[in-house]
Amino acid sequence: MTIASDEPQVASIAAPSAPPGPARRPSRLTRNRWGYAYVAPFFVLFACFSLYPFLYTAWISLHDVDLGDVDGAQWVGLANYGELLTSEFFWNAARNTLTIGVLSTVPQLAMALGLAHLLNYSLRGRTFFRVAMLLPYATSIAAATLVFGQLFGRDYGLINAGLEAVGFDRVDWEGGTWSSQLAISVIVIWRWTGYNALIYLAAMQAIPEDLYEAATLDGASRWKQFLHVTIPGLRPTILFTIVVSTIGAVQLFGEPLLFSGNGTTNGGSSNQYQTLGLLMYDQGWTNFHLGQAAATAWAMFLIILVVVGAWALLARRRARAER
Amino acid sequence: MATVTFAQATRIYPKSERPAVDALDLHIGDGEFLVLVGPSGCGKSTSLRMLAGLEEVDSGAVLIGDRDVTDLPPKGRDIAMVFQNYALYPHMTVEANMGFALKLAGLGRAEISRRVGEAAQILDLGDYLHRRPKALSGGQRQRVAMGRAIVRDPQVFLMDEPLSNLDAKLRVQTRTQIARLVQRLGTTTVYVTHDQVEAMTLGDRVAVLRDGVLQQCEAPGVLYDRPANVFVAGFIGSPAMNVVTGPAVDGGVRLGGAVLPVPRDQLARAAAGTGRVTVGFRPEDVRLVGPGAGVPVVVNVVEQLGADAFLYTKLAAEHTDDVLHPSDVVVRTEPRSAPGQGDELSLAVPEGRLHVFDPTTQRRVD
Ligand SMILES: Nc1ncnc2c1ncn2[C@@H]1O[C@H](COP(=O)(O)OP(=O)(O)OP(=O)(O)O)[C@@H](O)[C@H]1O
Ligand SMILES: [Mg+2]
Repeated sequence: MTIASDEPQVASIAAPSAPPGPARRPSRLTRNRWGYAYVAPFFVLFACFSLYPFLYTAWISLHDVDLGDVDGAQWVGLANYGELLTSEFFWNAARNTLTIGVLSTVPQLAMALGLAHLLNYSLRGRTFFRVAMLLPYATSIAAATLVFGQLFGRDYGLINAGLEAVGFDRVDWEGGTWSSQLAISVIVIWRWTGYNALIYLAAMQAIPEDLYEAATLDGASRWKQFLHVTIPGLRPTILFTIVVSTIGAVQLFGEPLLFSGNGTTNGGSSNQYQTLGLLMYDQGWTNFHLGQAAATAWAMFLIILVVVGAWALLARRRARAER
Repeated sequence: MATVTFAQATRIYPKSERPAVDALDLHIGDGEFLVLVGPSGCGKSTSLRMLAGLEEVDSGAVLIGDRDVTDLPPKGRDIAMVFQNYALYPHMTVEANMGFALKLAGLGRAEISRRVGEAAQILDLGDYLHRRPKALSGGQRQRVAMGRAIVRDPQVFLMDEPLSNLDAKLRVQTRTQIARLVQRLGTTTVYVTHDQVEAMTLGDRVAVLRDGVLQQCEAPGVLYDRPANVFVAGFIGSPAMNVVTGPAVDGGVRLGGAVLPVPRDQLARAAAGTGRVTVGFRPEDVRLVGPGAGVPVVVNVVEQLGADAFLYTKLAAEHTDDVLHPSDVVVRTEPRSAPGQGDELSLAVPEGRLHVFDPTTQRRVD
């Protein structure tokens, strides 16, 4: 075995004069053959599970399709999109998504930042707090929403009981527009604040300690240090969490679905908390208009694209202004 | 401007039994440039940070001027510090970095820009005022850190190894710049370094620390000529002082079969306990004498440095048995007439050039 495998080497040493002509140089593709082979599984999976559904959804959105008869699709061009833009349901859902998105994302990130700042200072029990903060994230939405549904219940809910105890009127949380959206935002905030706080905490710990010491000697209070050292140091991280929460907010589905308490997708009796995600589900699986649902899905994707693109542009402009 | 006083100042880090700084007593005069030196981990930075208020003082006190600042937050102490890694705010321009403290102090924009402009001119930073630290060289960053300290016009400057991130040549250049700058400003300065050349060239006085304990605080010349103990003797000077311990005999200390003369009363006091004496002598104080007239050694290595040559020699083998810890004896000679490797030499130390220490207490005996 060893002798046999030695042979070609011996041969090549014996005949070293073969000119290194261009024909012998492997082309770039063959040279990188193994590289491509190694990354191929990712692209195969990506094509199967991401790209194909994505494009297929686009295709469907251009047809009039009934859920029961996908093969009998009728080409309708952009009619589904046209209908969407004139549908009051779409605009209602878009508005709800926006308000719930703002109501949940802004306090959530602000609180996460504050929490991370506090944890960054106090060393004791840090591990406990880290685990505690991840707990809501690790809890299933269904379980969490059930509990919150109870809390926000009109007749027997703990929150109303509390309100009454201090002399306020009961609130029909589920029935009202603002109240229901607020309640849903609370669930989202509860779930994601800790997660974002941990991301901020990790980024904060990468900020060198001597910057804080220098700021202390320069006369900066804790608050000024937060403003002038922590926030600038976290800027890329903050942008990242904003992008991720924006995507999450546009796609919000589970919380409002379960908040209704009866599994319906209309988002309340007057659609007061129907989000785009719920609307899409409603169109496709309640009303069987797959084409409509696909158009909504694509509309959501475009909204995300525009919002995230705007953030990225803003960040780039800031970064350039600073250079 | 102010004096600085450490009065029995002690710092014990949580979870460690040994104090990092142990009952430090030090008085720094108004406008004085004091250098703290010592080996790594001896508590130099800790002392400086205690003065800055970044580290608690577990017992004792720290005073700036007549004011006890032991429990005062850093902000109230009116000090400025240059950090080893400069600690420049990465998202601020050079101008904003230097003006940050002034802005926080509530100074007007015109006043800030005047003071920053002045500092920038002194430090030759005028062209970089609108750059961020990222876009500066190491030396420029160092100057910004200096600038940030001087615009404050504080009572005391603190510098923790401010030159250690620069290359050798720039370090020498910046060293002179700092010396000139501080001289011109006349501000009390405490400067930490582990580089004894920096310490000797910069300091009005140099304080040597070891394991958190102050060994000696004197002007550089005194420190060099009259080290208070064996540690300081070995730490200050490069190459280090030769330190050997041998039996006390009539008229001196026996080394390698020869006797190095030591004055009688010094010898008596140093050898009182053990019958042995520790002596030290600097490489440049050693004289080569005729065979048989001095301590016999063999040249191991010859180090040519251009202006000087250093001979690393060993006591001749048959005579080492009565010498404690025999190590290389380093001798400075003329580079052109330097002996070669393997040559046998005879060494003598002129009277008054020998440092005598008690081998038990390691203290200097005069
Ligand atoms: N935060 C800390 N917690 C516990 N021990 C510490 C801490 N900082 C320093 N020490 C210990 O205190 C001693 C003195 O440290 P210090 O940083 O003052 O040394 P140094 O003289 O500045 O050394 P170097 O020249 O390496 O900077 C060391 O033994 C070190 O291990
Ligand atoms: Mg240090």
